[in-house]
Amino acid sequence: MNELEQYKALISEVIKKQIIILGPDIAVLKARNVADLTIDKDGTVTDIKGDPADALEKLIDTYVELSGQIVKNALGSIFTKYPAVAARRATQA
Amino acid sequence: MNGIAIVVTLVGIAALGGGAILYVRARKLAAVARASDDDVRHRMYELTILKEVGDRIGYSLNVEKIANVIVGSLNQFIEYGAASFMLITPEKIIFKADLDKPVSHAFLDDIKVRMRLALNALLDRDLSQTPLEETITGTAMVDGMNEPVRSFFNIPLVISGNIAGLLTVAHTKDGLYKEKEMTMLYKIVGQASQAVTRLEEVITVERGKLQAMVESMADGVLMTDTDSRVLVANHALRNIVSTPDGRDVTIFDVIDACAGMFDVRGRLEESIKQGRTFVADNINLAGSIYQIFLFPVKGANAGGGTVGGGVIFRDITRERAAEKMREDFTSMMVHELRSPLDSIKKIGELLRTPSIRDDKAAYDEYMGMVYQSASNMLELVNDLLDVAKLESGKFEVRKKPASIRELIEERVKFFETPAHDATLRLASSVDEHIPHAILFDQMRTAQVLSNLLSNAIKFTPPGGQVTTRAFLHAHGADINQEAALAGIPLPLSEKDPRFGTLQNSVVVAVTDNGEGISPENQERMFNKFEQFSTSIRAGEKKGTGLGLVIVKGIIETQGGIVGVISQEGAGSTFYFTIAV
Repeated sequence: MNELEQYKALISEVIKKQIIILGPDIAVLKARNVADLTIDKDGTVTDIKGDPADALEKLIDTYVELSGQIVKNALGSIFTKYPAVAARRATQA
Repeated sequence: MNGIAIVVTLVGIAALGGGAILYVRARKLAAVARASDDDVRHRMYELTILKEVGDRIGYSLNVEKIANVIVGSLNQFIEYGAASFMLITPEKIIFKADLDKPVSHAFLDDIKVRMRLALNALLDRDLSQTPLEETITGTAMVDGMNEPVRSFFNIPLVISGNIAGLLTVAHTKDGLYKEKEMTMLYKIVGQASQAVTRLEEVITVERGKLQAMVESMADGVLMTDTDSRVLVANHALRNIVSTPDGRDVTIFDVIDACAGMFDVRGRLEESIKQGRTFVADNINLAGSIYQIFLFPVKGANAGGGTVGGGVIFRDITRERAAEKMREDFTSMMVHELRSPLDSIKKIGELLRTPSIRDDKAAYDEYMGMVYQSASNMLELVNDLLDVAKLESGKFEVRKKPASIRELIEERVKFFETPAHDATLRLASSVDEHIPHAILFDQMRTAQVLSNLLSNAIKFTPPGGQVTTRAFLHAHGADINQEAALAGIPLPLSEKDPRFGTLQNSVVVAVTDNGEGISPENQERMFNKFEQFSTSIRAGEKKGTGLGLVIVKGIIETQGGIVGVISQEGAGSTFYFTIAV
């Protein structure tokens, strides 16, 4: 899986986890506020424009802004499945 | 078409165009105005609900109350079928739902499933088996409706960075909730949570101070809730009930520690139920005597109900020992006074018999005995009065310039006869550099010297020696060197740190080469009751033991220090100081 596909899969998982935590209406609406993402109604990312890492951070920031740091903490298990992305995030932090 | 007609047509078209432009602009302005109205309306609602939440929550840290307030305020702002919350406690999940529209059981069950899944995801653990305590309010449920959940969103309730629960709004209508409304609700809940978090931080700091105080207490302190769960147990209590380190104290530790001695749980439950305090005296736990207080703990708010029970274990072992000593002392004093009185009474009866009355020699001997008994009584009563004055702080000394050398020589001379009778040698040695006149109470200091010399003679075996020495101590100088130069055999400052700060003084020391005193008894010598119990054990050499107590009182009232250094089998040195 190339990097873009990894990001699409990871971001889709993030959105779907937020759908469980926050509910589908608000989770998808907030994800669609990230202009670089194209998302279908079940929260799957179909396209990412620009830097996917930026899009991921914007998405996480959007959720954190809405309901606090706690929702970010709940994403840890997703990142363990994508070590390359997690490593890139760590170097950028 | 002529020119006029063309002009009219053009004007008409222009007018229409202008009208159309104006119409479009007016529409736009109306839309902007409506949007602005919506913003104002939302903002007003936000402020209103935050105020209401603030007013109704007040300074509560009860998350359930806060969630109730938020759910109870929601219908002013948002349409819902069910507004509900789940709160996580150690034992269960509390679920409350307010129904604003008729919904089915299936609808509500679906909400519960979704909320549990959300909590599982947030906490990263499975709560599906955790018991649920359920309360439903509002409109009655209608099972025939068969309308599923079509719109819903969850808002996590986070207090101090931890998930406390989840708030959920749901409806049977599809696509009902707009982003703006939902975002505002997140904001409101977030602000309420932050307010509680800030309050909890303040409480945590204050609680920390209180806990530090409770931990520092020498008494064992225990607090339980109304179900006997231990909420507070300080270090002293852990020691009393022998709870191992690293494990929390439970009520069973306390019950086991009191087993067979005291029904702590039963009494505590009674105290909570009846709202009164119980005191249990003289409870022996592992060799120590305790006074145990049990009391109901009331809520902090006025009129607050009982929130639990408190128990205080106060170690009274030493107090009870002191009490026993006081009782022994009183009974011995009565005995000491009754013995000479009894002698006087019996001698009085004898003196009434003609044979004694007519025998001049016998009469004089008996009168001498009466005099001795009366003197002993008077001495004892004087000692008791002196001790009473010392204890009440009314003891006074009258310092006047006088010669300590002359006083020592006079007292040594006075005791030569009893020393000779006991086949003891008396000696004295006074440093020639001691000023001729120093300020002290001559009469009281004579009393001190008399007491020390009398004791030394009493406790030194025949053939021994009692030496009274006086030397100067310079502030900051080594007292032991000074004492050794004066000929005192034992170091004075071995156990007496007071010499370190002692000002320029005359040190007077009475040294004997008698039986000596054990270290244990040296510490008791100047305590009223302790010395008394020691003197009882001295058997034939018994006394009231008040003499040294009075010696200490006189010297300390003059601003000096008093002490003893002794070695068993080698002798003792009693010393006191007078400032120069």
